[in-house]
Amino acid sequence: MSPLKLIALSCLVTASAVSLAAFSDPLPPDLTYRPLPTQPFSSVKANDEAQKPKVMERQQTLLNQRYDLSDKAMSNVSMSGGMKKVQEGVRVKLPDGVTWESLADMSPDEIRDKNLLPDGFKPLPHVKQATGGQVFPQKQIDEIGKQEARDLKRFDVDFDLPDHLTPEFPPPIFLTTHPELGDVSRGQLLTIRNFYEYMNGIITPVQMEGLRLLLTPFPQEEFNQTEDRKVAQQSMGVACLDCHSNFNTNAAFHLTPDVRPQASRFRLDTTSLRGMFNQQIHGSKRSLRSVEDFTEFEQRTAYFNGDHVSATRKGVNLPDRPNQVAMMAQMQNIIDFPPAPKLDPLGRLDPAKASEQELMGERVFLGKGRCGECHIPQTSFLDNNMHDLRLERFYNVGYSANDQVAIPDGPIKTFTLRGIKDTPPYLHDGRLLTLADTVEYFNLVLGVKLTQDEKNALVAYMLTL
Amino acid sequence: MNRFLPVALALMIGSPAFAQIGNPAGLAPDTKMQEPGVPAPHQTNNQDRLFAQLAAAGGLAEVEFGKFASTKATTASVKEFAQAMVNDHTDANSKLKELADAAKIPLPDTLDADHRVIRQDLEKAEGKAFDIAYMRSQIIDHQKMAQLLAWELNSGEDAEMQRYAAATLPKVMHHLRMAQNIASELTGQGSREVVASQTKK
Ligand code: HEC
Ligand code: HEC
Repeated sequence: MSPLKLIALSCLVTASAVSLAAFSDPLPPDLTYRPLPTQPFSSVKANDEAQKPKVMERQQTLLNQRYDLSDKAMSNVSMSGGMKKVQEGVRVKLPDGVTWESLADMSPDEIRDKNLLPDGFKPLPHVKQATGGQVFPQKQIDEIGKQEARDLKRFDVDFDLPDHLTPEFPPPIFLTTHPELGDVSRGQLLTIRNFYEYMNGIITPVQMEGLRLLLTPFPQEEFNQTEDRKVAQQSMGVACLDCHSNFNTNAAFHLTPDVRPQASRFRLDTTSLRGMFNQQIHGSKRSLRSVEDFTEFEQRTAYFNGDHVSATRKGVNLPDRPNQVAMMAQMQNIIDFPPAPKLDPLGRLDPAKASEQELMGERVFLGKGRCGECHIPQTSFLDNNMHDLRLERFYNVGYSANDQVAIPDGPIKTFTLRGIKDTPPYLHDGRLLTLADTVEYFNLVLGVKLTQDEKNALVAYMLTL
Repeated sequence: MNRFLPVALALMIGSPAFAQIGNPAGLAPDTKMQEPGVPAPHQTNNQDRLFAQLAAAGGLAEVEFGKFASTKATTASVKEFAQAMVNDHTDANSKLKELADAAKIPLPDTLDADHRVIRQDLEKAEGKAFDIAYMRSQIIDHQKMAQLLAWELNSGEDAEMQRYAAATLPKVMHHLRMAQNIASELTGQGSREVVASQTKK
């Protein structure tokens, strides 16, 4: 073929791509945008209520297949408020015929081809993927109902994890501005009703106004007045601290705002806001560069739906950047991690205070386990980066579980490990229930082949953080 | 064609306990119920109907292009891929046709406008340029098909149609990965194999 012809050809190939783009692409109009409900509220509610038992049963079946959900608390380790014991042991169930050791000895290809990746390591579906939205644990629903007479209970779904596998409630609050006071929560949940009494004299007027806004409900995707809502009565909405209870987390979950179509959106477990002052990137995917950006943005898209169009229909709140946003951010930025008395100022264990096993755990963490390459002790166990752990090396993507399509997680930001025992479940979607689970997960993903002693030591170490 | 099928497909088809449960806000207003909250078999909403049509149009094009490419392609891997598309999509299309018939959804039987344009472009291309153009159009088609199947999975109300989508999706993702790999080989890009192991040389 003459060179001229070749050039003409390659132009043709490009042209085909161009003409394609210009064509009306036959994909459905509601792949990106949320469709309006096609039915009146009353009939949606009736159908939702009829489906609910099956929805909950289906999710329980999935959870029981994946995990040991039993209540096995460590006898001697509590969360920072001292009200709830930390759960122990690996809870992810192994497929038949393998052990954690034999699994770690296989190549990712072999694990994928033999379908041996434990299901508990795979993305965890929302309790009702097709609807998604925020789901609150019962204790939060009860407390907000009692204090504010505001209803956070959905008629279509309930919270799916047992209480003993979630953070203590209400959690303690530690302030960077008052380390000497310790926990200032008085053992209560901060709400719009009580915050002024509890915080008066401890925080500044600016912080107080920020706190008020963080506790003020605004209409959201499932909690509003339209037929799109999933709460019985027209709702006042949701407040920031309904999920970030006392600035920690109550394990309320949602779907990521950052992915479409709906079936591919991954579950999001609420993160703690402790130590936000040291974090440079925010959101598991969005990598927003400041607490201000995150705060300003969250409400206009109906909290984690990534959908400003639908949110606007429900009544959007656009907090004023120099005043309201700044104050909300400043309040969040004085929330400290819980004390870690065994750590020195650089985040390293003090050999005089730590046990031999904890010290061994630190050595594994910084050495063979490679954890410290991303969770850097000196910077609050963060590296302010996102990493692609590429779990999809171990399984075939595209299968679906409870209507969620498993696609690769892609890059996710490194989470802090300070106060980590206070915030089960773990990973961005809460797919791991205990710290021992996270050790098995990273042992496999990083291919570091830890021994049982080393794994135990890592768990003991993480409990000191 | 066994080379082209991902393992354990049977496992991916949901058991009854894991049946699809959609958001009732998107049910068609005239839906007949089998029991409260559960649409009777073959009850469809707008999404099911649109899905069936678009998936059928895509499947039809896959088979037609596959037949065309399996003779016209010059590279062995492209020929093999094209033949696999004919086989896999012929199966998938007839299953879809059954479901659509049961739900009384008419399906297209000729290429849609988008695919006619692609067909014209493919007819003009020759040799390696053809192979590349075919593989690139396959990548786009499989990307779109994956979005479409995932969409049906959450938006439809015909449970059988949704199960079909769930069972087809892993195959389509597998085809997509293969198409990406073949295209990168043809064009001399590095391998795109998203699931390549660390250990693989
Ligand atoms: C439905 C529960 C929920 C509500 C309500 C909520 N959040 Fe969050 N918050 C989350 C989840 C889940 C994440 C993790 C987001 C992600 O990974 O993209 C998060 C992350 C954040 C982060 C980033 C933390 C990090 O580690 O990256 C900040 C800051 C934050 N929320 C502040 C707020 C503020 C301010 C509000 C009120 C405007 C709010 N949140 C309301 C659940 C909630
Ligand atoms: C390549 C960087 C990297 C390395 C190395 C690494 N991690 Fe992580 N870690 C991450 C990322 C990224 C996440 C968030 C992953 C997600 O949510 O999917 C994470 C999450 C975690 C979490 C859960 C945090 C939470 O709040 O849910 C724990 C616990 C953890 N890592 C422990 C470890 C341990 C133990 C090791 C060593 C055996 C380790 N990590 C090695 C990057 C890393």
